[in-house]
Amino acid sequence: MDIEFSEINKSFGQVHANADISLKIPGGEIFGILGENGAGKSTLMKVLSGYINPDSGEISLGGEVSHISSPADAIGYGIGMLHQDPLDFPPMQVIENFVLGQKGRMILTYKERIKEFQTFQNKFGFSLDPRAYVESLTVGERQQLEILRLLWLGVRVLILDEPTTGISAQQKDKLFRALQLLAGEGKTIIFVSHKLEDVESLCDEVVVLRKGRKVGKVSPPYKTDQLIEMMFGKQITLLTPEPAVKERVTLELKDLVVEKYPLRIEDVNLQLKAGEVVGLSGMEGSGQDILLRACVGLLRPVAGQVIINGKDLSHKTYLEFMQNKVSYLPASRMEEGLVPGISIAEHFTLTGNTDRKLFIDKEQFRQKTQEKIDEYHVIGRPETPVESLSGGNQQRVALSLLKESLNILLLEHPTRGLDIESAIYMWEKLKERCKKETSIIFISADLEEILRYSDRVLVFFSGYVSKPLDSRHTSLEQLGQLIGGKGWEDELVAKESYEPSK
Amino acid sequence: MNPANKRTLSIVFQLGGLVLAILFVTLILLLTGANPLDVFKNLIVGAFGSTNRVASILVVWVPLTLVTCGLLVTFTTGLWNIGIEGQITIGAIFSTGIIRIFMDTSVSPILVIILSVIAGIAGGAIWAVLVGLLKTYGGVNEIFGGLGLNFIATALNIGLIFGAWSREGVASMSGTQPFPEVYWLPNFRSYNFSWVSIAISVIGIVIIFLLLTGTHFGLRLKAVGKGMKSAHRLGIPPKKHMLLAFLICGCFAGLTGALQVVGVYHRLIPSISSGYGFLGLMVAMLISYKAIWIAPIAFFFAALNIGGIQLPIVLQLDSTLSGVLQGSLVLFILLMQGVKQRVLGKS
Amino acid sequence: MKRKYILFFLSLLVIFSMVLTACQTEEPVVEETEEVVVEETEEVAEPEEFIFGILMVGPYNDKGWSQAHYEAGLYVEENVPGAKMIYLDSVNTADRPGTTAAQLADELVQQGAQLVIFNSDDMKDDAVEFTKNNPEIFVIHASGDSVWEEGMNYQPLANMVNTMGEMEYGKMIAGCDAALHTESGSIGYLGPLINDETRRLAASVYLGASYCWENYLGNDPADLSVRVTWIGFWFNIPGFTEDPTQVANEFIDSGVDVIISGIDTTEALVEARKASSEGTPVLAIPYDFNGACEEAPEVCLGVPYFNWGPAYVRHISSAIDGTWETTFEWLPPNWEDINDLDTTAVGFVMGSAMDEEAKVTLQQFIDELAGGLNLWTGPLNYQDGSTFLADGETATDIQIWYLPQLLEGMEGRSE
Repeated sequence: MDIEFSEINKSFGQVHANADISLKIPGGEIFGILGENGAGKSTLMKVLSGYINPDSGEISLGGEVSHISSPADAIGYGIGMLHQDPLDFPPMQVIENFVLGQKGRMILTYKERIKEFQTFQNKFGFSLDPRAYVESLTVGERQQLEILRLLWLGVRVLILDEPTTGISAQQKDKLFRALQLLAGEGKTIIFVSHKLEDVESLCDEVVVLRKGRKVGKVSPPYKTDQLIEMMFGKQITLLTPEPAVKERVTLELKDLVVEKYPLRIEDVNLQLKAGEVVGLSGMEGSGQDILLRACVGLLRPVAGQVIINGKDLSHKTYLEFMQNKVSYLPASRMEEGLVPGISIAEHFTLTGNTDRKLFIDKEQFRQKTQEKIDEYHVIGRPETPVESLSGGNQQRVALSLLKESLNILLLEHPTRGLDIESAIYMWEKLKERCKKETSIIFISADLEEILRYSDRVLVFFSGYVSKPLDSRHTSLEQLGQLIGGKGWEDELVAKESYEPSK
Repeated sequence: MNPANKRTLSIVFQLGGLVLAILFVTLILLLTGANPLDVFKNLIVGAFGSTNRVASILVVWVPLTLVTCGLLVTFTTGLWNIGIEGQITIGAIFSTGIIRIFMDTSVSPILVIILSVIAGIAGGAIWAVLVGLLKTYGGVNEIFGGLGLNFIATALNIGLIFGAWSREGVASMSGTQPFPEVYWLPNFRSYNFSWVSIAISVIGIVIIFLLLTGTHFGLRLKAVGKGMKSAHRLGIPPKKHMLLAFLICGCFAGLTGALQVVGVYHRLIPSISSGYGFLGLMVAMLISYKAIWIAPIAFFFAALNIGGIQLPIVLQLDSTLSGVLQGSLVLFILLMQGVKQRVLGKS
Repeated sequence: MKRKYILFFLSLLVIFSMVLTACQTEEPVVEETEEVVVEETEEVAEPEEFIFGILMVGPYNDKGWSQAHYEAGLYVEENVPGAKMIYLDSVNTADRPGTTAAQLADELVQQGAQLVIFNSDDMKDDAVEFTKNNPEIFVIHASGDSVWEEGMNYQPLANMVNTMGEMEYGKMIAGCDAALHTESGSIGYLGPLINDETRRLAASVYLGASYCWENYLGNDPADLSVRVTWIGFWFNIPGFTEDPTQVANEFIDSGVDVIISGIDTTEALVEARKASSEGTPVLAIPYDFNGACEEAPEVCLGVPYFNWGPAYVRHISSAIDGTWETTFEWLPPNWEDINDLDTTAVGFVMGSAMDEEAKVTLQQFIDELAGGLNLWTGPLNYQDGSTFLADGETATDIQIWYLPQLLEGMEGRSE
């Protein structure tokens, strides 16, 4: 189905999110929409999928003017959108989510449903447990589920908003293959991303947006420099950071055993030095998040110790870890990072009341917030509610909220959803902290990010943890193999305790 | 859209809700064969027709205001304090208990009244914290916990009125023996309300307004209400703040119960909470938890309550019609808020 | 968003339930409006209008206490030229939370009432307060004792009248009626709340029942059981009182085959019919209102009732023509004909479930009472065994009105 946008406009307060955007998307193509955070990609797609009504402009589907004013209308036209934050129902099972919203065929039993589901997901090489509860899935797995559900609903146009964030390289390959298969069947795929690599390898055509406007349309072969310039308006060079590791140990894990169904990680030993950066690498859901949460009191260790600056905090709560200057930045920003419905300034007020005053000095916090907003280049104002910021800006706010002097900083996907410029900026900020002797442990699905910024790397593979690898002596290929479960023999033989206990 | 336009539009939608509510009630009236104009006229005359009636409105305004003040705290924290009725009742019981203990002693009546009000506050707070503990440590949703404790409070109240605290030789639903007049709050002139209660209510509104809009604590409550997990990650202990929210709401509820005892009924009666807790929930919803609106909206609801008394006398209609009007107001104004969000887009 | 939905549904629920309750009581009342209109047009010619207001503790159509007052109000409108009734029913803290009877009486005055009738003993505090605050308004407190000079609660209130029928006779007749029909010898008394009035009425039932049991049937007094269970108010208020339906069923389950109602509503009758139709013959005697048997005539043994009309006509006429005098009256039946509605204060309608023989016996008992039989004659003991009346001693009005306990031989709480 051909889709044509003509002169779409949408403003949020002062921000012109879409300005006179006109473009044509031919059916049966994988069409890329590229742009940095806040460029207006998500807004445009939400207009198409009925979540947002434009201020002006219209959309034609298959040559006819359409009237999409709600997601239900969009589904009626065969348009389905996969959101950056999945819109599923966490307390329900995978299969129940899958069945949700389907019409008719009420009499089918769950057994048959599960069979259908399995056949269907096999087509894409996904392996979700139909009986697992959605809340136990990783963000990546939840996105997979949503893709399956939309396809099963029979959408003819599939919009994917940053779909490759949060899924492993392997899963990405599978996804891309599936998308190509779907395009071959005549479906229109709209692929929204800020990742050059993904867009380059997948899309038949790419449109670049910047600050709410269409910059231009590009066809293969793509030139990376050109795309970057279109996105940011200037060339960016990557810098290689210098290590800032001191000898002092800030975090020590001793024979740590942590468990969260269905994973169990055993006998992790690690000494984190001041200023050191350790990257946790592995396929989504291989146990990195479990270990990270155990390091900050959000998950109680089954055995072993977590020692912060010589203090045993193994069974202490998150708040006590915080008092010991351990901070944590989770992946799902709006669920457990920022408080929706509260402004940026109010966030700084919440975290900044160090002298335990009763009344809020609003002007003081407004100024402080404005300073931080300027420092971290957040597009927004102190009174902007955080949920109306773009994903990247939310991440900047979350980062800027962290206390100045920290012992340890734990990050889940610190640059997920961020454009290259923001990601580089983020790491500059993080490295500045390392120079002030803050140690960092971070999870990332981006192997290059892991290798570029970590001093040492831990690789996870379904509950197994590698010895710390020196990132300077580890290649991308090595890392990729370990993540994929290859090259572990030495490790497994060397450490008996890695035998699964189940 | 500029902010001024937005505000105008917002008001238009609120008024739209009001108009729809009135139309809805009109429709119901027409269906039952009554004359809507007569009804609305009688509601207004019944509420404001004489100084006595305005005084009666104030009698209702005091408990409604205090209860709403408390409920704003729990609502801000994302909690449904359905148990508010029980908290009022327990407050009233504690307050009555203190007066009964000191009634025949030489302790100064003023001191007894003060003690009695403090006991009422404590009683409401205990009952509310129980709901909070059930929620935070027992995993019992506050709605169910609150409902359960409401039943217990009512049963306890009836038990006392009918049993241990019954009048000599009497066991009646009309309540306990009225206290001697020295234990009454001083009435304003010959009217049925006390200036003390009015003053306390005004102070209550100011406290809640400052608490919710100007203090760090209030902001933390808001954060817990809007996103419990996120608030926790930012370093705010949610359980502690939920318990504190219940505690504060319970204090207000208990205070309400105590003032109903020492200021209005001068005895314990079976329906001492008079449904003001539930009415307060409606007021809180209607004002979208904004403290600045407590006083006028509570007054409006109180006026409807008083105006409604006319309906059975003059038009042989049931007084609960005022309740229908109050309920439809809340419903339609919430509805219009939803419509507004759709029209303006999520912002 | 989720919160929005919860809000929405909760308020929907609230409105829905309110609409329901509003509609329930509205329907019959709407018809009422029409009647009133008719009467008004009839009385346009009358020179001077005198509005009197009634505050009824229960619904005006409760087939009991409140309806008896309502009918009396209609009787006054018929018999006193210019008199017009306005009323508020369900005046109690459970049905009208947040209001007091005094406040509601003010409302009646604002609607033009020159005389207000408080119809419940429970409104005593409010009636006195209102009477004091409104010396220009005439007040009739039915069943009250505030202006009884010899009484225990005397207050000089020139604008108040207390009036009450001597229902003790009605209850004695009811007790006798029950004794004549019980097979098991077990009589249940469905009591309202406990106070002086309800105790003396329950005791009257017992006196009437045991007199007939021994003297007409020649039975052993030990074989007669009169059991009292109090529900807590004049009628059922769910959640606040015991459920009279349940109490009636407990009576039936424990072998009671005649239930005498002391409450304002007809649950005893309804449950008796239900049990009878299910094969357990149970009979009942309702209370207060002469039409109460209509609810279930096949199990109704009769009803002792109040007839407030003549007293109200008297007092309202005196208020109109300026001969009002404060007084306390406790009016016996018109012994000439206890069912003459123009004269008697208390009456007894024999029910269709009575057998013919019993009717004769009961009439004999009524005649004996008319002839001066005083059952409040010693030896009588209180429930705790202490002496109430020595042998041959008769009780004074004060002793009867303020009966502090049930009598020896009765089962149930005294306070």
